Amino acid sequence: MHETAIVAGLMRIITQQASKHGAAHVSRVTVKVGRLRAVEPQQLRACFEMFAEGTVADGAELVVEEIGVRGRCRGCATEFDVPRYHFQCPACAGNDIEVIQGQELFIENFEASSSPPPAVDPPLVPK
Amino acid sequence: MCDNCGCNLTDANRHALGAEEHHTIEVLENLLQVNDIQAGHNREHFDEYGVFAVNIMSGPGSGKTSLLEATIKALPPGVKVAVIEGDLETENDAERIRRHGVPAIQITTGMACHLDAHMVHGALHELALQGLDILFIENVGNLVCPASFDIGQHRNVILLSVTEGDDKPAKYPVMVHAADLALITKTDLLPYIEEFSVGRARDSFLGIKGQLPIIELSAKNGAGLEQWIAWLLAEVAKRRPAAAA
Ligand SMILES: Nc1nc2c(ncn2[C@@H]2O[C@H](COP(=O)(O)OP(=O)(O)OP(=O)(O)O)[C@@H](O)[C@H]2O)c(=O)[nH]1
Ligand SMILES: [Mg+2]
Ligand SMILES: [Zn+2]
Ligand SMILES: [Zn+2]
Ligand SMILES: [Zn+2]
Repeated sequence: MHETAIVAGLMRIITQQASKHGAAHVSRVTVKVGRLRAVEPQQLRACFEMFAEGTVADGAELVVEEIGVRGRCRGCATEFDVPRYHFQCPACAGNDIEVIQGQELFIENFEASSSPPPAVDPPLVPK
Repeated sequence: MCDNCGCNLTDANRHALGAEEHHTIEVLENLLQVNDIQAGHNREHFDEYGVFAVNIMSGPGSGKTSLLEATIKALPPGVKVAVIEGDLETENDAERIRRHGVPAIQITTGMACHLDAHMVHGALHELALQGLDILFIENVGNLVCPASFDIGQHRNVILLSVTEGDDKPAKYPVMVHAADLALITKTDLLPYIEEFSVGRARDSFLGIKGQLPIIELSAKNGAGLEQWIAWLLAEVAKRRPAAAA
């Protein structure tokens, strides 16, 4: 469950950035995750939901954009999408491949508002 | 009609939801930045003393601790080593290492199924790096998480034992891809496990990382250990040109 540690990092960034920008509520967070990171988007979202509870991002949607693996052949410089972690050059069949995409793990942006979130259960004020 | 998707918003009521106050904040920050910075700091500690730090990863029970015990016995005298042991719960592995007269620090990770850079840094406070040649860091037995966390190591080694199946590398491509050396362990058991083909295991590794060096060995009968020792000494020599002999 390394998703826990990743989400802890995510929450730290969101909390910092939200207060820096005076955001009262975060409604949507977008992260980019390369397929060489062994991160389960579903676990990431479940974990985020838990960590976000009671914070500025309570109830926010986590959008996980997965990024496929791309390689560059060190033999002939061909760039190609790596299918199923099979690192072999389609042009020269070489197997000395540099990873040029697929190791991303970062937050891209989040949507915030300066007003607090609408209360789920608006308290009834009798009068 | 629908209060959730906003399809009932008209120009007249839109402002009531404060829609115009929403804005997108661009961030672009690495989610593991705190860990990665700490890992870089750990590496500085290692480099300051010319210590070769090697991260040993595998599934549970592939023979990491047994290999370290055999390695301690097989290294030439004068090569000084220490071990950091990662385990969910117990001190057992560190005690096994200490019996050979080698300093060993146990990190019990509790809930975390991997070591991270801060845990390793904590262990460094209990360890004298001066005069060390190799620091072995045995990661928690787990083929997924440990590959995601830089702990400041110079090299990653992955173990696959012949009792695990020769298709394992293909199932854990991320960890295989992160490896600098693969060891096929417990080869003394090969005569009893006809399902395991060393050729297929090698192909499985090489399909993911064509340049990956692979050594077959047995911690029990010592076969193949000399190649592993040679690999280690070559790495030590890179960091200690003067002391290498
Ligand atoms: N036959 C044989 N058994 C081995 C060999 N190496 C380890 N074993 C056995 O495999 C089991 C697990 O070995 P360990 O060295 O504890 O494995 P490990 O990877 O450190 O295990 P964890 O730290 O719990 O993940 C033990 O029963 C060892 O005796 C070997 O080369 N040959
Ligand atoms: Mg062990
Ligand atoms: Zn983990
Ligand atoms: Zn090529
Ligand atoms: Zn330090």
